[in-house]
Amino acid sequence: MEKFEVAIIGAGIVGASLFSELTRKGVKTVLLEKADDVSNGSTKANSGIVHAGYDPVPGTLKAKFNIRGSQMYPSMCSRLKVDILQCGTLVVANESGREDLNKLFERGIKNGVQGMRIVEREELHKMEPNLADNIDIALFAPTGAVISPYLVCIALCEEGVVNGGTVKLNFDVDNIKPINNEYIISAGDQSVMADFVVNCAGVGANDVNKLAGAPEYPMKYVKGEYLLLDKSQNGFVHRPIFPLPTKAGKGILATLTLHHNIMLGPTAIPCEPYDTKVDAEGISQIKEKIVQSVKQPNYKKIIKLFAGVRVVSGEDFIIEKLPDTRFYYTIGICSPGLTAAPAIAEYLVEKMIQDGLQTRNHEFVSREPYINTETMDKKQLKALIKQDARFGKIVCRCEKITEGEIIQALNSPLKPTTVDGIKRRVRPTMGRCQGGFCLPKLLKIMSSNMECPEEEITLNGQGSEILANGESK
Amino acid sequence: MIKTDVVIIGGGPCGLAAACGVEKSGAKCVILERDERLGGILNQCIHNGFGLHVFNEELTGPEYAHRWIDKVNECKNVKYYLNSFVYMIECTPNGYLVSAYNDEDLIEVEAKAVILALGCREKPAGSVQLLGTRPSGIFTAGCAQKLINIEGKSVGKRVVILGSGDIGLIMARRLTCEGATVLGIYEIMPQSGGLARNITQCVKDFNIPLNLSTTVTRVEGDKRLTGVYVAPVDQKLQPVAELEKFIPCDTLLLSVGLLPEIEIANDFQLEFNPTTNSYCVDEYFQTSKTGLFCAGNVLHVNDLVDNVSREGQHAGECAGLYALGKLPTAEKVEITFDDHIKYTAPKYIYKTGAGEVQVSFRVNKNYRRTIIRAISGGVEISRRPAPVVTAGEMQTVTIDKSKIQEDLHFEIQVLE
Ligand SMILES: Cc1cc2nc3c(=O)[nH]c(=O)nc-3n(C[C@H](O)[C@H](O)[C@H](O)COP(=O)(O)OP(=O)(O)OC[C@H]3O[C@@H](n4cnc5c(N)ncnc54)[C@H](O)[C@@H]3O)c2cc1C
Ligand SMILES: Cc1cc2nc3c(=O)[nH]c(=O)nc-3n(C[C@H](O)[C@H](O)[C@H](O)COP(=O)(O)OP(=O)(O)OC[C@H]3O[C@@H](n4cnc5c(N)ncnc54)[C@H](O)[C@@H]3O)c2cc1C
Repeated sequence: MEKFEVAIIGAGIVGASLFSELTRKGVKTVLLEKADDVSNGSTKANSGIVHAGYDPVPGTLKAKFNIRGSQMYPSMCSRLKVDILQCGTLVVANESGREDLNKLFERGIKNGVQGMRIVEREELHKMEPNLADNIDIALFAPTGAVISPYLVCIALCEEGVVNGGTVKLNFDVDNIKPINNEYIISAGDQSVMADFVVNCAGVGANDVNKLAGAPEYPMKYVKGEYLLLDKSQNGFVHRPIFPLPTKAGKGILATLTLHHNIMLGPTAIPCEPYDTKVDAEGISQIKEKIVQSVKQPNYKKIIKLFAGVRVVSGEDFIIEKLPDTRFYYTIGICSPGLTAAPAIAEYLVEKMIQDGLQTRNHEFVSREPYINTETMDKKQLKALIKQDARFGKIVCRCEKITEGEIIQALNSPLKPTTVDGIKRRVRPTMGRCQGGFCLPKLLKIMSSNMECPEEEITLNGQGSEILANGESK
Repeated sequence: MIKTDVVIIGGGPCGLAAACGVEKSGAKCVILERDERLGGILNQCIHNGFGLHVFNEELTGPEYAHRWIDKVNECKNVKYYLNSFVYMIECTPNGYLVSAYNDEDLIEVEAKAVILALGCREKPAGSVQLLGTRPSGIFTAGCAQKLINIEGKSVGKRVVILGSGDIGLIMARRLTCEGATVLGIYEIMPQSGGLARNITQCVKDFNIPLNLSTTVTRVEGDKRLTGVYVAPVDQKLQPVAELEKFIPCDTLLLSVGLLPEIEIANDFQLEFNPTTNSYCVDEYFQTSKTGLFCAGNVLHVNDLVDNVSREGQHAGECAGLYALGKLPTAEKVEITFDDHIKYTAPKYIYKTGAGEVQVSFRVNKNYRRTIIRAISGGVEISRRPAPVVTAGEMQTVTIDKSKIQEDLHFEIQVLE
């Protein structure tokens, strides 16, 4: 049985951050994920915002890790060679909300948020010409940023792998057995051994705790639905625009993605654990609320509806250890969990070191970023095509992705095997035609690279095969 | 860098005909085509029904394309490059510089005129705000057509089709012939957006239920599609929730509309028509920027390829003359129309010269017993009784240019 120092259960942003943190410290680590790719839970469907940190109640873990996380993101992204858009964030209100904005500002000061200021009407409408007319003031937090959450998570996992870590996919942990000072962690007939175990299982965290004899916590699941608009709407907003927060959460916002799509949402609707259906009610809620902050978006340009699930347990994150063991757990990592994740990882590693985890000097290996021909100038592109003709063959016309870029993703450290896996890495099927054009080409490339029939290629794992069996007549 | 008179982006029926048009004008041209073969969307349209007007024959799509490819091969001054994906058009002192990805080298072509002949793409599920989960088994009809007809693949066994555009209708028949069961076509509008002949030959003849004023409201299935909910819609096109019902199926095809592939010219901020989702052109098929032409499906979605070829050829001839400095210009007349008509292409004609000009348009819904009239200077200059005009069929009227005064107005008189 393979033996590790640390086993992490769950490859969302929390597990991935921890994986990267540990492998960079020379710790022999395994990341266990039940899905066929990393970043398959909450981490794949959220607002993608690095929150500045004015929201959480001072003194909470949320506040502490949010601030620390947001400070870590810029250097982390440059280390990972992934993009971050340091555009700041705005919370907008009309005059009657001035007092609440000031409170938010003060809370931000208490939490240690840098550089915030209140922006008045004239300047505000210049910054964001598409704000609703009745918006008078805003809290601007320059440390807020936009990232691609799944890409950061994938990059963290890749970094862990190139630094000696192991990722085991399709490993749905169903047994955790302590033996002497070690644990045997199993999924069906596969098992690994580890000295330390960390539960980062998101929606599945209670189940994993149960396996380890750790307490279960009351959990609520809250769905967040989104509308995604075509790139042609680029410029509708230049940074995330939040309404004033309420008890129910941060509200419905208008934001942009790193690839210039506009995103509207999320709703906050109680749901079952894995329910990511988009409902009519959610869509009408978004449409109704969004115009309180911004002008009417162009709904003709919607290219995708999607939803993610938040796991909420009480008011704060739960980051604990089962007393007198080496089993740690993270529960209720809802917003600002994406932002907080690197700080949570840092904290967990400190705790484990206190409990005897050995770190070592390790020669850091940097992850290779994905080549993106769209950002190249003609000279670079010519040189690249000379070197490898596949970079001259466009597969996805909407996002201008070449065969070379797709092959590169297929051969990347985690070797994605699904259409969604390729999509999250290099974006085919994510553009305005959503795969209508590139899907047939993509299936061919995947099938020849993976040496399997096209009929076996799935959207997101077994059961989601794209083609039906049987040749056409 | 390649230098030529006219560069044609897209080697579908429009681009091919445009090349023949350029040749006729005496100018030279280059076609850039992203696919590995010429012919455009026709390559996957293996059914017949092409060429009734141009060749007086019923050809399949690939046969029709080949007639034009043969013509292009006979042209002395036409060159074409395959596997060449155009990604940028820039202005230069000599005209335009068009750049394309190609697996041998990046291709750059400088020309005095550009013809956009890029065709269109299909609207995705998001554009109709399809609710529910996001499983596999949902395809746009054209994508399924390509998988079946070109790649020889099978997409599913029990199929529901949303939208009754021509591609959806044709695919209903194709899938049935492939051994799949088409459970029904659901169309939100009270009429089909497809050609009458396709409704008869592809749907009625195969006993496929065509449900009008009905839509798919949401989809189910975590991994593969397991079924769809359908419901009739009220007059505001809103689904009636109480009448919603579940249809188990493994495949959903979307035939919910096409969008012209115009983004390549976005930076030029050309005059735009929100009805066609494309640019406005004059009778030369020239956009609001001189030297930049646009025809075929990228201008407006055509139901008959013959019309595309005609447009392409004319655009090619005009672009060639433009490049040679021989294209006459004069005062423009903007075509106006009554509210039965959605748009006209071209939008402008020139008050010059004799000869004829052809104007195409679509109506907003189906009408019976009508008269299509063109009026200029208060005088009826063209009149054509049309027993039926449908939203699915493009109308084309030929106007004698010598009769055009200060204005040109189109109207549909509905007798019934
Ligand atoms: C709508 C929405 C918007 C949000 N917006 C933001 C935002 O803008 N900024 C921000 O900072 N935060 C935001 N968040 C919060 C953020 O997305 C989450 O806090 C974060 O993604 C949680 O990461 P995680 O790693 O804990 O969980 P997940 O990403 O859910 O990862 C858990 C992983 O564990 C795996 N797993 C579960 N059970 C097992 C098992 N038994 N064996 C093996 N693997 C298992 C799962 O498959 C999954 O991959 C938002 C959340 C939502 C839902
Ligand atoms: C399913 C279907 C059934 C039809 N049935 C009939 C019928 O029965 N009878 C009939 O008469 N008509 C039919 N038509 C209509 C007719 O085929 C189309 O209107 C016609 O093909 C449009 O021609 P086009 O050249 O404008 O576009 P397309 O045929 O789409 O050609 C556009 C070309 O441009 C290329 N291109 C696009 N972008 C780029 C770029 N960036 N760089 C380089 N090249 C690019 C494309 O690869 C393509 O080859 C049908 C159409 C469809 C889709």
